[in-house]
Amino acid sequence: MTLFPKIIQAGVFAGLLAFASACSTTDSGGLTPSNPSDTLPNQAGGYTDDVAAGFENVQPGSEQDFILTAGRRIYFAQSSAALDDTAKATINNQIAFLQKYPKWFAKLQGFADDPGNNQQLSQQRADAVMNYMIAGGIAPGRLWAKGYGKDREVRSCSERACKVQNRRVVTNLRLQRED
Amino acid sequence: MEFNRREVIFGATAVVAGAAGILPASAQKATTGKKTSWFAGTAVDNGVTFKTTNFAVIDKQWHKQMVKYKSSEPAGTVVVDTRHHFLYLIMENGTAIRYGVGVGRDGFQWFGRANIDRKALWPKWTPPPEMRKRQPNLPEFVDGGAPTNPLSARALYLFDGGDTGYRLHGTLEPGSIGKDVSSGCIRMFPEHVIDLYQRCPLGTAVQVLPHIADRAPPADDVQNG
Repeated sequence: MTLFPKIIQAGVFAGLLAFASACSTTDSGGLTPSNPSDTLPNQAGGYTDDVAAGFENVQPGSEQDFILTAGRRIYFAQSSAALDDTAKATINNQIAFLQKYPKWFAKLQGFADDPGNNQQLSQQRADAVMNYMIAGGIAPGRLWAKGYGKDREVRSCSERACKVQNRRVVTNLRLQRED
Repeated sequence: MEFNRREVIFGATAVVAGAAGILPASAQKATTGKKTSWFAGTAVDNGVTFKTTNFAVIDKQWHKQMVKYKSSEPAGTVVVDTRHHFLYLIMENGTAIRYGVGVGRDGFQWFGRANIDRKALWPKWTPPPEMRKRQPNLPEFVDGGAPTNPLSARALYLFDGGDTGYRLHGTLEPGSIGKDVSSGCIRMFPEHVIDLYQRCPLGTAVQVLPHIADRAPPADDVQNG
């Protein structure tokens, strides 16, 4: 790749941006896990661009395959538990995965930090995803939905880019049913 | 967003000139001389039939993959390393999904922070006036889903107070991923931009950087630059 003098300016600019990065809290960026498999394996050590631990050789039907192909997260508009077309497309991908790999159960965790009753809204979001999956042919016995209040979010913040991450349902794969 | 003749010729003769651009129908593998298609077949997305990427001929570094990411951007942020042609979607626990991208050619690059304030499926393409000035044969607009529409399957529009004019979008030219070819937009394989679209709610923060901090050029590299 050819280098130009502007790379010098560019490098400084990148540094400034990194320094000014808002919303960069010290937390891990993940939700408080109720189960170790809700977060990715420990990623200590190594460097940026190293293949992530657990993703060296992704097997079809594995949790890693689910994360990379279907994705775990379904997003919602503020104060809404309605599934938009994008949400439905993600759930359709999840349904296809669950149908192809029937060994998995799915725990649907709803989150909310919207104005109003978050406990209720997060449960409505998780239920909406569960009902859509059942309508899509997944046996109800393989699914359960739980909403969480404001105590469990991605992170506490006021920025819009932050808040949109909190309005979500996360589909977690399980090998057996939990209560 | 713009087609660059240097990038589409590939040494192959099989090019199709369209009203809005030039589509490589196939690519020539220089090493073997064996003709290998950029496209694996077709698929239907939201009613539009499109050519799927033949990832078997795409360098592994441009494939979608989960990598470690050692900076502090919060989960959900999109970071583009323009120089190295990678787009990172930051995930939890020090990881990111990394996609290969094509970026703006020299003089057409754009850097900054923005938010995704609009998203579209198979968007209509309106070439900006300055682009039509450079290429007077460009049409006023190209319908969404048209085989000559360079935005391809999705566009994510970057706003910074107002519309920056820059987008993350698909491409008709798989061979342009990993290159500096566009007018400043970030282009991705159609399969990748479809995937990214699902993962980025409206409001998602985007940083388009010359390079990420972890890939800063070594000091002598800068001095010699």
